[in-house]
Order: sequence, then structure tokens, then C-alpha cells
Amino acid sequence: MTPKIGIIANPVSARDIRRVVASASSIQIADRANIVLRTLAALAACGIDDVVMMPERGGVGSHVVRGIERSRNQGEERFPRLSFLPIPVTGTVEDTRRAAAAMAAAGDVAVIVVLGGDGTHRAVAGACGSVPIAGISTGTNNAFPEHREPTITGLAAGLAATGRVPPAVAFADNKVIEVRIDGGPPDIALVDAAIVTDRFVGARALWRTETFRELYVTFADPEVIGMAAIAGLVETVGRDEPGGLALTLAPADTAARRVRAPIAPGLIGTIGIDSWRRLPAGTPVTPALPAGAVALDGERELFFDPHQTVTVTLIDRAFRTVDTAAVMRFAARHGLLLDRQP
Amino acid sequence: MTNNPFPLPKDDLLQAYRTMRTIREFEERLHVEFAKGDIPGFVHLYAGEEACATGIMMHLSDIDRIASTHRGHGHCIAKGVDVHAMMAEIYGKVTGSCRGKGGSMHIADLSKGMMGANGILGAGAPLICGAALAAKFRGDGGVGITFFGDGASNQGTVLESMNLAAIWNLPVIFVVENNGYAESTSVEYATGVDSYVDRAAGFGLPGVTVDGTDFFAVHEAAGEIIRRAREGGGPALLECKMVRFFGHFEGDAQTYKAKGENDANRASRDCLTLFANRVTAAGVIGDAELRVIDREVAALIDDAVASAKGAPLPHAGELTTDVYVSY
Repeated sequence: MTPKIGIIANPVSARDIRRVVASASSIQIADRANIVLRTLAALAACGIDDVVMMPERGGVGSHVVRGIERSRNQGEERFPRLSFLPIPVTGTVEDTRRAAAAMAAAGDVAVIVVLGGDGTHRAVAGACGSVPIAGISTGTNNAFPEHREPTITGLAAGLAATGRVPPAVAFADNKVIEVRIDGGPPDIALVDAAIVTDRFVGARALWRTETFRELYVTFADPEVIGMAAIAGLVETVGRDEPGGLALTLAPADTAARRVRAPIAPGLIGTIGIDSWRRLPAGTPVTPALPAGAVALDGERELFFDPHQTVTVTLIDRAFRTVDTAAVMRFAARHGLLLDRQP
Repeated sequence: MTNNPFPLPKDDLLQAYRTMRTIREFEERLHVEFAKGDIPGFVHLYAGEEACATGIMMHLSDIDRIASTHRGHGHCIAKGVDVHAMMAEIYGKVTGSCRGKGGSMHIADLSKGMMGANGILGAGAPLICGAALAAKFRGDGGVGITFFGDGASNQGTVLESMNLAAIWNLPVIFVVENNGYAESTSVEYATGVDSYVDRAAGFGLPGVTVDGTDFFAVHEAAGEIIRRAREGGGPALLECKMVRFFGHFEGDAQTYKAKGENDANRASRDCLTLFANRVTAAGVIGDAELRVIDREVAALIDDAVASAKGAPLPHAGELTTDVYVSY
């Protein structure tokens, strides 16, 4: 019996204010459904028979079912069997968390394919335990999921899940940043935790650079978009390196240095930087700003007042992802998709 | 008092609370008064949705036009229509803002840029395109906002208006007030793709979805969208996800809602409570200051109801006055 693949497709990622203040794109429901169908076709080609999907009300699932039925009516067997998790739909991020936890608890889900931006991947990573994630970017700031044709991600997920590529090659460890307020339960960021002067969640997205004060990143890559780009343009830190980077930011007109960074699609901001240093894993850090908001992966999520204590801790090897590039290279080297004629 | 961490000065925060509280008090009182049988026609109450109207309208002035829905009291109040004239209008009295002939579902005040509530679903969208075209010709920087619900979003008039606004690059903002129910029909059932941002994308309009119970989320997103429209950036869509505390209309048994749904929404998604908690926790506004506003608003609504009840009905001779216009 082949292992199952889970799919969590967020129907509402890429809907925030960056469509207006920047030139961010908006992937429509039919596009998301087509991405799922392409992934399913790739999974079936790898021998995956069963896929379980998060239910939602946005229309992704119903469009996918329509596509599968149409294919079957034409006599094709292009797709695996698809079922939906028997969980309630709230239309909130709670659905994503609940689905990830249910897939992890089921015991037979080998990989979870995720469609969303950094926020969706964060919600899955916080609940999926040791089940690896194969990420597909359909969000706004997609620093965490790599940009790649979903068919390839589907092939890699299938080859990894079926064990045709050994786990040591197929799966990569990832870091997270844990943020706690007054020692409470942690929230996590997969890429960046930013401390900003706003004390309201509002429209969530970050784009007013004058509010940025501190930035903690798990990796710093000059090729990504969002807050992590600020760090990446100062000093690069790889996803597979231990530790991260911590930066002290300031209004651009008063800072020691300024960097022009792509903080959102089409939006190059000038950010003041006073200093930066490596952020070792496992050592809690307390931000200097007495009151403000914590933005996790580019979205204001938490706010804190002067009487509250915020701690930021980088955690190594927090969760696993499918290393699509490594899997496909291995597949090519070992001819996993190469069939000889009898 | 600590520094104000909000994007609005304290006076504006107090005004936002006062507006939302006025809408709430107005609607809660109508809920009581309508049951007594003195109010003609239907009323559709906006309680629970106050953050949307208030967060948007704080960016507007009298030159900006709005086209409302049949659930229009909140839009009127947030746009600055006189509360006494509104209450009298709903009672059908001659002192009303339309001299008693509009009632709840056709209440309007053009002097405030309020083009009217509307009994026809989706009818505000083409109206606002005309108002926005006029503003564009005048070059006065005015914008037009049309409100409609998740149900009306399926009307052809709304979709045609999006296309019109797109091709003429009109300063129009399409605001979907998504409270989850088209009258009694769940949005899940009635809408093919329940992302209204996708609808906008079909016409080349950018769209944004916000939590419509969070005043700050609505205010922030609306500010950017309205600024963009004033600067010539063209139309956009704003979807506010919200809850309504009462039925579709007064007298609606609400059998389509889950048991306890209204109570749960009042407990966890009351935009007034969320706003008050946030500004008091930050130390910007004291609880006592909010209670003063509560008392002043309650007195205002008491007086508006008493005045409306005591005002005369329109004379029969006024039947066709203000109905026909000569050009």
C-alpha cells in the first residue's frame, strides 16, 4: 500500500492590501484548482493512489473534483483517488492548522503539499509535526516556498513519499523563529519576525518602512521578497546554515546605513539599518522596543504593551520539507523516471 | 497617557467610536421601536457591521458620493446624515431627510453625498459609476463608493458596473459587505467562487479582503484604496467580512442561522468591543471617556425617537413633490 499525500490549498492567500499598495498578484480560485490538478497528475505518475485534501469553502476543492470527474468521463486515469478530511470548515487559518494536525495524526500521510504564501506554510509547519511539507507558492510574499512549476513539486513529493528517493536526500531540515509574549505559547515565523512600532493589526501587511525597528530572520537570501530581503542584502545566511540573523532597524533618515530592499512585490523600500549580527539557535533574545507589534513572515500578528515581555528564539531543525531540487537531481542520476522498453 | 500608537489622532479615534456607537444605538433602538408597530415598511438593521461604514467613511468628505443598500442606516450615519432627520424619515414624518417619503429603504441626503439606500439589490453600483464619472469630469478629486452584500454581488448590475468602472477608469470603490447571508441563503451555497477579489480580478480591478469587524483593518485598507482612486489609479474592490447581529429584516426568525450564532458573534466579533478594548488597553482613551460618549449617544437617540414620533406626517398634497424633476 503506497503512502498517502495530503494537500492543503489555502483559498484566500494573496488577498491583502498589497494588491493596492504594491503590485502584488492575485491567483484566482480556478488557477489554484489547476495547480492542484497538475500536482495530482504528477503524484499519480509516481504511483501515489490516495490523496487527502483539506476541505474549504473557497471553491478550490469543487473545481478539482470537477476536473477529476471530467477526466474519468473521458476514460482517463490521470489522477489519484481524492478524499477530503472530515473536519469542520471555519474559513479561517484554523482550518489549515486543523488539517495539518489531522494529516499528521493519521499516520499514513507521508508528505503534505501546501499551496499558499509564507503565512499558510507557517500555519502548516506549526501543526504538521514530523510530516514533511512540499511547498507551492500562491501567496504574496513567498520567501519560504520556492518558485517552481507545481508539476515538478508534485513529482518530487511523490518520489520522496514512495521512498524511491532516500529520506536523507529527499528531506531538508528547516529553522523557525519562536516568539513568546510573557512566556506564553509560542507563535512561529518560518522566515522573519519583525518588530514594528504599530500597535494594531489592521490590514496586517507590512509596507510602511518607517515603522520597522528590529528584524530576526531564519535565513537571509538576496533573491527573496519581503522582510527577509532586507537581511539578505546585508549578509546572506543559508536555509541550511545553523542560526540566523538579527538586525536593528531605524527610520531611514536617522540610521547608520540604508538599504533599498524589495519588501513587497513591486515595492522597493528604503530601510535604515543601525546594526546586525548573527542570531545563534536556542538563545532567547528580547527586543528593545517597549511596545509595538510583532509581524510574523510579513504580517502583523501580535502586539505587546510596555508591561509585557517578548522573547525571540531561533530553533534549528524545527520541521522538514521536501527538497525538490535534490529529489529531481537524484531521480535523474538514478533514472527513476527512465523506463527501458521490454 | 502613553504615546498614541494608532494611525489616527485621539480625536479621530473618539469620533470613530462615537459614530459606531451612534449606529449601534440607532439600530438597537429601531429593533425595539419597530416591534411596537409604529414604523411603516421594512427595516434592515446594520448592527454588528459598524466598523465597515465607519472605517471607510472617515476618509470621505461631502464631495464624495456613496450608494447604499437596503441596510443603509449605518452608511447614512457614518456619512454625516443628521440622526434626527433619519429617524423622522424612517417614521415617515415630514421632518425626515426625504420629507418622509423615502423611509428606511430609500433614505437619502444628497447634501452629504449619500445617494440613497436602495430597495433593488445591486442597483447602487451603476448609480455610483455615474457619480464617479461626474467627479472625474469635474476633476474635483471626489470618489464614489458603492456598498453591496454578498447576495447582490451576484447581480448583473454589479458585474456590469465593475466593467464600466474599469473601462472608464472611474474613481469607484466597490465594497462587498460580506455578512455570510444573502437574506437567508448562505454565501457558501449561493456563490460559485466565494472570493470577491476574484470577481474584481476578472475585470482587471485590484481587490483586498479585510476583517470587517476590525475598524483598523477597514480604515487602513480603505485609506489606501481611496487614495489610489483619488490619484487616478482607478476602481478597486474591498471585501469586508463581517457579521450582522439581527435578522435580514426585523421580524426575520433567522432559522437559517446556527443556534447561538448571534450570541457567539456578539461575544467574540463585536466591532465596538474590539475597538474599545484596543484603544483602552493601549492607554490612549480611558474607559470613562467612552462611557461619556455612550450616554451622549443614548440621549441623542432618545431625543431623535421622541422628535420623530411627535412630528407630523406629510400632507397628501405633497404626494408628487420631489418625485419628478424637470431638466
